[in-house]
Amino acid sequence: MGSELLNEAPSHSPKTFTEMFREAFPFYLSIGMTYELFWLADATLVLDYRKAYRISRERANFDAWLQGAYVYDALCAVSPVFHAFAKRGTKPVPYLSNPYPMHSKKKQNEKLSAQEGAAKFYAFAAQFNKRFETKST
Amino acid sequence: MGKFLRLTDKATNKTYTLEFNRKAVETMERQGFNISEFAEKPMTTLPALFRGAFLMHHPAIKREVVDNLFDKVSNKRELINKLAEMYTETLDVLLYDDENDENEGKVEWEASF
Repeated sequence: MGSELLNEAPSHSPKTFTEMFREAFPFYLSIGMTYELFWLADATLVLDYRKAYRISRERANFDAWLQGAYVYDALCAVSPVFHAFAKRGTKPVPYLSNPYPMHSKKKQNEKLSAQEGAAKFYAFAAQFNKRFETKST
Repeated sequence: MGKFLRLTDKATNKTYTLEFNRKAVETMERQGFNISEFAEKPMTTLPALFRGAFLMHHPAIKREVVDNLFDKVSNKRELINKLAEMYTETLDVLLYDDENDENEGKVEWEASF
């Protein structure tokens, strides 16, 4: 029982470490690793290169998505003109005057608006209290 | 950072760094070293593995010096286990990707040791 697990011949001949290294080497060259870094330096450096490669792919993916979003916005802006039954004199909606804000800027704006809100509240409260002070005197 | 170990010869007060890079592994295989013979031919494989660990940081060291160190080294079994782990790490880091393991959670395993 279970002999079929042992009798089956291996489907491929075992490769040496060197053969495996040579197979992987072109990929690492393609992501910016040099001959010296791959063959002569710390063997675990490939992990950092793979991580950096993954980050760069994610960034490229985000950039492609962002470009798609801008194209979509541009099409939406110009679509009234392309409408088959558009009224005479129809003009396209102006395209975005600024690029989309980045996350850090958005956070900064949120922080600023919170500070502004607090300042306005204190000013309002001060004026409100002042009104009572003048009434009482 | 890759695994390495430091060896200090108290007789000469010299310290050696033992580590493998892929070039060292390639050189060892070109000279006939085969890690799969580890269990079958320990008498030839183990000293060769020890010698190979000097190739990265001490390529000019004489064979007699290395063999002498191997004869004098204590806790050989543990040392050899560590060297084998360091040797296979040169390939392991190419094959396995812990962050992007497609089979994560599909079949789980645990060891008793």
